[in-house]
Amino acid sequence: METGKNTHMNQSNFSKADFDSLLASEKVELFVQGYRVPEMQTKAVTLEMIRRKMDQKSNIKPTRNLRVYWSAAASIVLIALLTTVYFYLSPNQNQILAGKGQHIDFTLPDGSEIKVNADSKVSYSVSGFTEKRVLEIAGEVFFSVQKGKPFVVKTHLGTVEVLGTTLNVFARGKEFNVSCLTGKVKVTVGEQSVTILPGEKVEWVGGALKKSNIDISEKEAGWIRGEFSFDNIPLISIFDEIERQFNVRIAAKGIENRFYTGTFTNTNLTEVLEMVCSPMNLDYEIKNGNKISIKPKKN
Amino acid sequence: MGVLPKKVQAETGLNNEGFEQLFDAYCDELRHYIFYKSSDLEIAEDIVQDAFLKIWEMRSSVRPETARALLYTIATNLFANKYKRQKLKFKFQQTIVEERTFETPEFEMEVKEFDQKLQKVLADLNEKCRTVFLMSRLDQMTYNEIAKNLNISVKGVEKRMKKALDFVHQKIEQKF
Repeated sequence: METGKNTHMNQSNFSKADFDSLLASEKVELFVQGYRVPEMQTKAVTLEMIRRKMDQKSNIKPTRNLRVYWSAAASIVLIALLTTVYFYLSPNQNQILAGKGQHIDFTLPDGSEIKVNADSKVSYSVSGFTEKRVLEIAGEVFFSVQKGKPFVVKTHLGTVEVLGTTLNVFARGKEFNVSCLTGKVKVTVGEQSVTILPGEKVEWVGGALKKSNIDISEKEAGWIRGEFSFDNIPLISIFDEIERQFNVRIAAKGIENRFYTGTFTNTNLTEVLEMVCSPMNLDYEIKNGNKISIKPKKN
Repeated sequence: MGVLPKKVQAETGLNNEGFEQLFDAYCDELRHYIFYKSSDLEIAEDIVQDAFLKIWEMRSSVRPETARALLYTIATNLFANKYKRQKLKFKFQQTIVEERTFETPEFEMEVKEFDQKLQKVLADLNEKCRTVFLMSRLDQMTYNEIAKNLNISVKGVEKRMKKALDFVHQKIEQKF
């Protein structure tokens, strides 16, 4: 009995004789101490989710009427001031978070200007940013980059390298596209990389980078003027965009495999819903101001 | 509370830095705590997020030296208010089973059956006793720490531990 007892059982191999020689209480200790709480996600992800909740709960009013902001200089200064609320000063890491229904205008330490679309995030390291211009983004951001050292935008899908230019980067979920307005941009995903010139865009489609032309004034970066254009885009993505722009929750039924082509501005929620729903033969209902349910029209 | 630097400890109120230190130090144990109560990872994750959100909202009045216990109180209340008692089913990762090779497949089965039985016994154990027992064994907290965190006496912790051990030993000795 005595010799066989080994409550620690450190060997990677343990025999039935060893196991059987343990008292019930010793087995319990051995097994309980072997337990680990499984992890659903990393701590960093949890923190990020808390940040997002803080963001949604913060008392900054959603900017519904963005046109006014873009046109009035004074208002833009106001946004810039409010933006400082969103800076998380972890050791020299700066983060700019635009909540749902909010656009943020920001000037980086090197003088480059960015416009952060709703439900999007930019982070960069403060120290030495002018030396090494590297940012991480999630969501959609419009860049007006000052000439100088290479300017690198990292997303979860791929990397964008910029040499003095204006460009728009969109990286949400599985969608990643970059459009170049002036200058020259290099986009890299894994081993693939593509260089685009003004008027061109590159999209990540089916595991490959696809280059095509854009209509600069109207389409890709229309959101900075509060305009949204869609060319044969799944309805579900349209409603996602509306959720982001107006900070609302949308529950939609019967929209699977349907596509929408059209333009809306983010000035008025009911107008937008009308513009999207009526051609698609859908009914919408707004509850409590921020919950929207969408159903096919009854004939 | 050795985790927090003096500067933060000295004053009332939580700044962003203090918040992050708090999160870093206690996120895991708080998640474990709710997991011990609920056996549900998603609930544990939700409660952790809401508890930290709550402490952030009341940051101006938070004293860093009591922040840890406050987090436990918030989490306990959030859990009590939000989730009605439900049937528990634990799925602890068992490192013993993972790291070992077994003589025979029959013996491996026997060990795994024992493991499952133990997890079931833990689920059947009274919530307060289970929580204290697992905080002690898995998070290796001292009775003193547990008492402070849960705002009970050390005697209370000892009582719960004894109850837990008695229950588990008795159930595990019963034949399958």
